[in-house]
Amino acid sequence: MTDAHWIPLDMLLAALLLGLGWASVATRDLKRGVALFIALGLLLAVTWARLRAPDLAMAEAAIGAGIAGALLLAALRDEDRAVLPDAPIGGPRLWLLNLFCIGLAGAVGWGLLDAMAGSDGIRLAEVAGDHIPDSGVSNPVTAVLLNFRAYDTLLELAVVLAAVLGVLSLGPARPGFERAGPVLGGLVRWLSPLLIVTAGYLLWVGAHAPGGAFQAGAMLAAAAVLLRLGGRADAGLPAPGALRWLLVAGIAVFLVVGLAVIAPDRAFLQYPQGWAGGLILLIEAAATLSIAVALALAYTGGRPPGWETAGRLSASPSRREGQ
Amino acid sequence: MNSLLIWPIALPLLGSLGALVWSSRAHLIGVGVGILTLFASSLVALRFAEQGGLEHALGGWEPGLGIALRVDGLAAALLMMSSLVALAAAVYATAYFSDPVKRAVFWPLWMLLVAALHALLLAGDVFNVYVTLELLGLTAVALAALGGSRASLRAALRYLTVGLLGSMAFLAGVALLYAAYGTLDMRGLAGLVRAEPAAWVALTLMTAGLLVKAALFPLHFWLPPTHANAPAPVSAALSALVVKAAFYLVLRLWLDVFDGALTQAAASLLGLLGAAAVLWGSWRALRAERLKLLAAYSTVAQLGYLFLFLPLLLALPPGPGRDAALGGLVLFALTHGFAKSALFLAAGVIQQHAGHDRIADLGGTARALPITTFVLALSGVALIGLPPSGTFLAKWQLMSAAVTTGQWLWLPVVGLGSLLAGAYTFRVLGHAFGPSERAGGVLVGGRQEIPALLLAIVATVVLGLGANGLWGFLSTGVSVTGVSS
Amino acid sequence: MLPQEIIFGLTGVGLFVIGLRGVMLHVSALARILAINVCGAGVFLVFVTVAYRGLGERPDPVPLALVLTGIVVAVSATALALALARRLQEGGDE
Repeated sequence: MTDAHWIPLDMLLAALLLGLGWASVATRDLKRGVALFIALGLLLAVTWARLRAPDLAMAEAAIGAGIAGALLLAALRDEDRAVLPDAPIGGPRLWLLNLFCIGLAGAVGWGLLDAMAGSDGIRLAEVAGDHIPDSGVSNPVTAVLLNFRAYDTLLELAVVLAAVLGVLSLGPARPGFERAGPVLGGLVRWLSPLLIVTAGYLLWVGAHAPGGAFQAGAMLAAAAVLLRLGGRADAGLPAPGALRWLLVAGIAVFLVVGLAVIAPDRAFLQYPQGWAGGLILLIEAAATLSIAVALALAYTGGRPPGWETAGRLSASPSRREGQ
Repeated sequence: MNSLLIWPIALPLLGSLGALVWSSRAHLIGVGVGILTLFASSLVALRFAEQGGLEHALGGWEPGLGIALRVDGLAAALLMMSSLVALAAAVYATAYFSDPVKRAVFWPLWMLLVAALHALLLAGDVFNVYVTLELLGLTAVALAALGGSRASLRAALRYLTVGLLGSMAFLAGVALLYAAYGTLDMRGLAGLVRAEPAAWVALTLMTAGLLVKAALFPLHFWLPPTHANAPAPVSAALSALVVKAAFYLVLRLWLDVFDGALTQAAASLLGLLGAAAVLWGSWRALRAERLKLLAAYSTVAQLGYLFLFLPLLLALPPGPGRDAALGGLVLFALTHGFAKSALFLAAGVIQQHAGHDRIADLGGTARALPITTFVLALSGVALIGLPPSGTFLAKWQLMSAAVTTGQWLWLPVVGLGSLLAGAYTFRVLGHAFGPSERAGGVLVGGRQEIPALLLAIVATVVLGLGANGLWGFLSTGVSVTGVSS
Repeated sequence: MLPQEIIFGLTGVGLFVIGLRGVMLHVSALARILAINVCGAGVFLVFVTVAYRGLGERPDPVPLALVLTGIVVAVSATALALALARRLQEGGDE
C-alpha cells in the first residue's frame, strides 16, 4: 500500500479528531468533556502510530490520555459545578470571536501549507540519521532526547519538578478512596507488579526500540494511581524523606553527568567515546524514578502526611521555629 | 570551549535540588547559590567584554541538530541585572516568610526561577526557548500563588491560563519555522528566513505569544492582580525580570531571527500598543489605591516604553545611530529592573510594618521607616526619568531617535508618561511624609531594607553615571543586531 | 508534498484554533484547562505531520522528540492548574 491508498482512512481519522476536539470543548457537561478528551488522547495515540511514531503513541496513551485523564477525573471529584453555566459571551461578541477564529485558522493554515510546500522535506532527518551510530543508542528518538538535545530534556525534568513543587505548596493531598472490593482489589494486586515490570522493560528497551524513560515513568505512575484507586492513600509511594531524594534524582544525575564530562575539548553533556550508552541508561533510570514520583504526587493532589518534617536532615530545629 | 556559559544555569538548578532536600538550611543555600551565580554571570560578562560574542555547543553537536548557548551584549547585560536583582530579593526573602511550609517550598522554586531566567537569556535555539518559557511561567505562577489569599490564587490561575495560551502560540510558531526552514537554531534561522507567508505567520504567532507574557496593552490584564498579590520578593522578580525576559525574546526574534521578514508597519503597530500601555498604565497607577497595585501598573507603563523603541530601531539604518538607540533601550530595561524591584521590596517592608499598603493611609511612613521612604523616592526618580538616573539618558535617546526618524508621535507620549509618573510618585511620597503619631528606628530590618536601598541606588545613580561604560560594553564584539546586519 | 501532510497538518491547525476558542469562551477553570490541552494537541499534530516522510521512510526524529517533551510539559502544567483550581474552590485563607 502507498500513502495514496491510506487517504480515505486518514481523512476519517482527521474528521474524528476534529469532531472529538470540538465536542470535548463545546460540551456543557464537564464529565462528558473529560471523557471525550480522554478519547481524543487515545485517538491521537492511534494517529501517532499511523504516522510511524510508536514512541509518541506510547507516551500519548500513557501520559497524554492516561495521566492527564486521571488528573482531570480526580479534579472532577472536587468540582460541585460539573455542569457549566450558559456561555457568558452572547450575540455579537460571540460572532466576532467566531470570525476571528475562522480567520486565524485560515491564516495559520495558509502559513503552514506555504511552509511545507517550500521545504525539501528532509530537514534534520538526515543529519540526525548520520549521527545516530555515534549516539550510543539506536532508537532515533532516544538519541535526540538523551544525546543530541539532552539539555532540553534536562530542562523538561525541571519543569516537572516546578509543577510538582507548586502542587505540593498548595495544600495537603486529597483524601484517599475506601478499600476496594474483591474485583478491583484483585485487579490491582495483579496489575501493579505487572506495570512495574513493564516499566523496567520499557526503560531497558528504549535504547534500541520504542520506549524510554518517560514511558517507563508513566507506567510506574500508573501503578501508583491504581494502588490509590484500590484504597492505599499513599499510592504506594515511600516516606516523604525518601520522596524528596527521588524527586531530585533525575535532575541531579543529569547535571552531575553533564558537568563531570566537561573538559577542555568536551562540552556540557558531551558524553565521552564509548560511554554514551551506559551514561544514557543511568540518566534514564534516575529520570524514570523522578517522573514516576512526580506524576504520582501530582495525582494525589498535594503534600503527603509527614512532608513538612521530612526536610530536616539534622536533628536541630530550624533557627526561626515558630516565628 | 566556553563551558563557562552553563554555570549561570547549572548553579541555580543544583541549588534548587539542595534546597528541596535540606529544607532546614534552604535559605542559606538560596543566598549562597545566589552569590555563586552572580560570580558565574560576572565571569561570563567579563569574558564577553574581552572576546566578544560567545557560543557553547551543548553536547558537542553542531547547532541545528544540537542546542547552542550564546551570549552577546544584550544577553550579558540582562544576565548581570538578573543575577543582581535575584540576589538582592533573595536576601530580602530570608526575613520575609514566617510560615515554615511556604519558606520551605519558596527556595527550590526561587532557584528554579533564576535558572529559567538565565537559561532563557542564554538560549540559542527556538525550541529550547519554549522550554525555558514554560519553566519560567510555571515557577512564576507557583511563587505568585504563595501569597495565599484568594486574590493571589485567582490571579495566579489566570496568569497560568493566559501564559499557557501564549506558550502554545509560541510553539505553533516554532512548528511553522521548523516546517519551513528545517532548523531550530536561531543563528541558522536568521540566515534562512525570507519575507514569505510562512515567516509572517510564524512571526505573528510567536510575537503574540510573547506579548501576552510581556503584558503589552491590551494583553496586560493579568499583570496587576498577579504582581500586586504575590509575596514582595516574588513581585520584585516578576516585574523586574520575568516580563523583561519576554520582551528580550521579542527583541531577539525581531532583530536577529526574523530580520529578513519584518515590516515597518508591524513595528509601528507594536509602538502604538506601547504608547497606549504607557498612557493607560500610568493613568491607572495614578488612580491605584494600593502601593503594590501602583507598582504593578507602573510596570505595564514602563514596558510600553520598551516597545516604543521598536519602530525606531527598525527605522534607523545599522550604524552608530541604531547602536545608540539600542543602548538606550538596554539602559532603560536595566534601570527599570533595579528600580521596580527596589520599589516592590520597599512596599513589602511597608506592608509588613503597617499591615497594609493602602496609599492613603501611608501617613507617618517617613518617620517610621526613613530608609524605606528614601528607597521609594529613589525608585520614583528612576521611574520618572529624572537625572542622574539611567532612565533619563534612555528617554533622551528615545526622543532623539524619534526626532531623527521623523516619528514625532512618540514625543508627546513620552512627555505625558513622564508627567504621570511624576504625579503618582509624588502622590505616594506626599502621603508617606504625611503626619502620624508613630515613631520608629532608623533601620527597621537590615536584611529587608538594605537590599532595596542598594537596588534603588544602582537604578538612580550607578546606571546613569555608568552609562558610557555600558554602551562600550554593548558594542563589544558581535553587534547586537546580529548576523544579518 | 504528501497528501497526509495537508490532511493532518490542517487538522492540527483546526484543533489549535478549537482549543484557543474554547479558552476564550469558557469561564470555568477546568473547561479552560481542557481547551488548552486540545490546543496543545493541535500543535503536536502539526509537528508530527512535519516529521512524517511517508510509509517507506523513517520519520524525522527531532520533531518527535519535541512533541514528547511537549506532552510532558503539558501534563505538568495541567497538574499545577488543577491544583490551583482546587485550592480556589476549597476557599483560600488569609
